[in-house]
Amino acid sequence: MSGRRQVAVTGLGAISALGHSVAENWKTVCEPRSGIAPQTLDAGPHGPAPQTLPLARVAPGYEAPVEAHLGPRACNALDPFAALALCAAFEALGDAKLLDAAELRRRAGIVLGHGFGGGEALEKAFARFYGDKTARVHPTTIPRAMMSAAVSAVAMSFGIRGPVFATSSACASSAHAIAQGAALIALGQAEIVIAGGSEAMATPVSMATWQAIRALASETCRPFSARRDGLVMGEGAGVLVLEELGHARRRGATIHGELVGVGMSSDAHDLTQPALDGAVAALSQASESGGLLDAESVLISAHGTGTVLNDQNEAAAIHKVFGARGATHPVIATKSGHGHLLGGSAAVQAVIGLRALAERLAPPILNYLGPDPSCSLDLVLGQTRPITSTHLLVNAFAFGGLNCCLAFRGR
Amino acid sequence: MAATETELLEIMAEEAMVDRSALTRSAVFTELGFQSLDVVSVLFEIEGRYGVVIEEEDMPPVTTATTLGDVLDFLLGRINAAVA
Repeated sequence: MSGRRQVAVTGLGAISALGHSVAENWKTVCEPRSGIAPQTLDAGPHGPAPQTLPLARVAPGYEAPVEAHLGPRACNALDPFAALALCAAFEALGDAKLLDAAELRRRAGIVLGHGFGGGEALEKAFARFYGDKTARVHPTTIPRAMMSAAVSAVAMSFGIRGPVFATSSACASSAHAIAQGAALIALGQAEIVIAGGSEAMATPVSMATWQAIRALASETCRPFSARRDGLVMGEGAGVLVLEELGHARRRGATIHGELVGVGMSSDAHDLTQPALDGAVAALSQASESGGLLDAESVLISAHGTGTVLNDQNEAAAIHKVFGARGATHPVIATKSGHGHLLGGSAAVQAVIGLRALAERLAPPILNYLGPDPSCSLDLVLGQTRPITSTHLLVNAFAFGGLNCCLAFRGR
Repeated sequence: MAATETELLEIMAEEAMVDRSALTRSAVFTELGFQSLDVVSVLFEIEGRYGVVIEEEDMPPVTTATTLGDVLDFLLGRINAAVA
């Protein structure tokens, strides 16, 4: 993005099964410890028997810091997907030293991505409608469930009056949100954009739909590993504060990195099976525009869902775009710890990746059982590894063949 | 089922998450911090508990002079007329 308004990252926020803050997520992913565990979902009196399956759920109590600042009703009318986003945005704004700042009321915007929206609110309404056989569903169902509930909550909570909207592209939603946030800054539409995403699909009907599509792992998420058999659903949110670089420097903000490249593409191929060309197009656009093709070491935060085809396709795309360096760039896959947050994944991966660049330390891929010859990459395994990477690549290759890759330069 | 003022105040405090002690008859309704969704949530709970239907358009207009006592009197009148 040289010659244009440049985009700095000045704030980070993350909530996942690994912890309620960026610091907790970073600590847990480095221990290393996975947030994936067997969980029992009770579908209530109208549903089938409770079932137990591996999930990466957020521990209760994540709302406490926001409620202490904004009051006890801050998350009251929100579905968990929106409450998670609000809480991660609160942390990111605090990190950027922008909470209650006058800058937020001038030329600031919000773009958050979600693959699904308020599943819990909808399932409660369906249970009343079909189970209790009453049309009297709760009046807050629509305001809770709508995809834009999270951005509205963040806007109202922090007085943000600029461009505010949600993006949706399944598992790439927050990558597209960050890309659009950067575009708003590059186009001069905003000086500050709160960008990222969230998801909370660990609800009984939602999980039944994921089981029906045969995408879920039987035990756990094993990215790029032999005998991997699917993804594990996670909950959470990741938020970056994006800021025009000059604006950030003038106010003396701490700069975590710069968003230097974006690549977006569509496979136009199949709803659930990835295509090599689409992944290569997004990867190469992001890498070329961000100057990553000449970098000695790029930390690659892989989409790495742990499904057979995705990991194979991603490995092939990395080799095709980076050539010989495709075998030497360190690859991490943090979904093995925080699960697949769908719309929130890329943002949480960006947060962890930027921390890794700053600490010069890559967190390991968990649950690995041995090599798969079709995924021969420089996987970070076993324990944290010291790195010299100057750049970070965050990959998101979504259902429906929607791809978005983000390239960052560290500080 | 007839309603009491205390019951309605408890519903309001719970649905709108406002301090119960602030809910006095003389309090100005627009100063109590009820948001638009709080009002429909309170009506939803009242309708479910007492088996009545209260249309928003039937409610008297809320002005800066409307007290919580005015709102309570309207709600109690509608509920108790319906169950009489």
